[in-house]
Amino acid sequence: MSGRVLRWVALGVVSAAIVFAVVLASRFGTDPGLVDSPLIGQPAPGFDLEYLDGSGSVSLDDLDGEIVVLNFFASWCFECREEHADLVATSESFAGEGVSFVQIGYQEDPQASLAYLAEAGTSAATSYLADPGSRTAIAYGVFGIPETFFIDPDGVVVGKIIGEADALILGGTIDSIKRGEQPGQQITGDTQQSPDA
Amino acid sequence: MSERSRTVATVALIAAMALALFLLISTDPVSVDRVEEIGARIKCPVCQGESIGNSPSPMAEDMMALVTERVASGVPDEEIIDELLSSYTGALLLDPPTSGSTLVLWVTPLLALGIGIGVIVWWKRHPGSPAETGKEQTPRSRTRLLVGGLVLVSAFAGIVVVAANSLQDRVAANSGVADLGDQDLSDVSNETMEAVIAANADNPQVNGMRLALAERYFDLGDYRSAFPHYLVVAEDVAASPNQAITALVRLGWMAFDGNGEVETATRLLDEALAIDPRSDAALYVKARVIWCGSGETEEAVAIFEALLADPELPEETRTQVESDIALAGDGESCQ
Repeated sequence: MSGRVLRWVALGVVSAAIVFAVVLASRFGTDPGLVDSPLIGQPAPGFDLEYLDGSGSVSLDDLDGEIVVLNFFASWCFECREEHADLVATSESFAGEGVSFVQIGYQEDPQASLAYLAEAGTSAATSYLADPGSRTAIAYGVFGIPETFFIDPDGVVVGKIIGEADALILGGTIDSIKRGEQPGQQITGDTQQSPDA
Repeated sequence: MSERSRTVATVALIAAMALALFLLISTDPVSVDRVEEIGARIKCPVCQGESIGNSPSPMAEDMMALVTERVASGVPDEEIIDELLSSYTGALLLDPPTSGSTLVLWVTPLLALGIGIGVIVWWKRHPGSPAETGKEQTPRSRTRLLVGGLVLVSAFAGIVVVAANSLQDRVAANSGVADLGDQDLSDVSNETMEAVIAANADNPQVNGMRLALAERYFDLGDYRSAFPHYLVVAEDVAASPNQAITALVRLGWMAFDGNGEVETATRLLDEALAIDPRSDAALYVKARVIWCGSGETEEAVAIFEALLADPELPEETRTQVESDIALAGDGESCQ
């Protein structure tokens, strides 16, 4: 083989390697948890869950016509603790304004979630629910917590916050939904996958 | 063994190894159990590269329980997988799909293998490459080779860095809990501002938002809602004297206008003037309260005239003050 042909072959192989590396870097370097949720723009998965204290249940259908803020939390999640006061404040501020807050315990015994809430505080306007078997978390594609979903009055998922959310982000997202916008996905920080993560 | 036999053996060995590797990475584990088979294809979302069938994490166990339930209900495999992917995206599949941008992952190794075999065969059939002939490279060809190599390496590094940065930017563009200090509040609702303030009650940085919200309520004549926010800002002079003056002036006016409390209003306005004796707003409102509440026209006019002496008095305020002085001088009641 002549040197010229060899050079062309080498160039071809190196080019293929570059393409391969770029695909790896751009696609598979992405944390799957940060990929846009396929639920955005889709009808929200339904749920019918009991309160953490077992005093009754709430379904998504019960909240028809309202903006629903759906947050997954756990007592072992540091970021959840950081955002908790903001969730409580935002829930209370939007009480009676056509906005319902739902917080669902993730991968945790309901009693542990209740003990945490007794310490961290609650909003009378928020429904605190248990998710046995993680069925709702799976239906919403939860990779880690905190994750917060926003469902518009027509029952469509229009927003998602990955990581800690503060009152300005929570309220600002609700404001934009009220204006008829689709806020989409926002990444505000880290999430925690399990108690020992 | 002849040269030709060695070539055939080499190619056969490489092809066999490639085939074995391909089968190893592309074939599902042998299993008669549909649940395990599906579990082996789905990545555990909270683990590092493990399938839900192999992971001991509670989330993986919950997902396997869901798969088991669906299988027992007679749901076809692909429907079960689609159900999971509908909420988690294709990133949950352990084998990347053989379509779209991931097709290159499947094609590239085979392409590289084909090229490699082709090169070996060509090389063996066409001896006489520069290396074999011992033909020396000229300094010029070596320079070309070096420059070409450097360009390729640089291009490779550049592309990887750009790809990595674009990923970083994508995350950064959406990142960050909002800063309370300097916000455009035009699109922010009163409810959101109330929530932010409640969640940051002890943070002086939120005073700007407090004042903006109080001003909204004040403009609507909703003194009851404005009052607690002005009060907090007024009491935190150290955080921002100017904000405290604004709050005290508003509180003074609300005390007079809302409750007719001239003394309280005057005291609050004097507190504002203690912070800045030249505050136009405090002086103007104090003059109005004295004129309208106490009927002490002369004292009010004296304050108005002191205001006019300020060369930096805004034109709009100056016009208003001149109008007030004319009315007060004529013995008219305040309007």
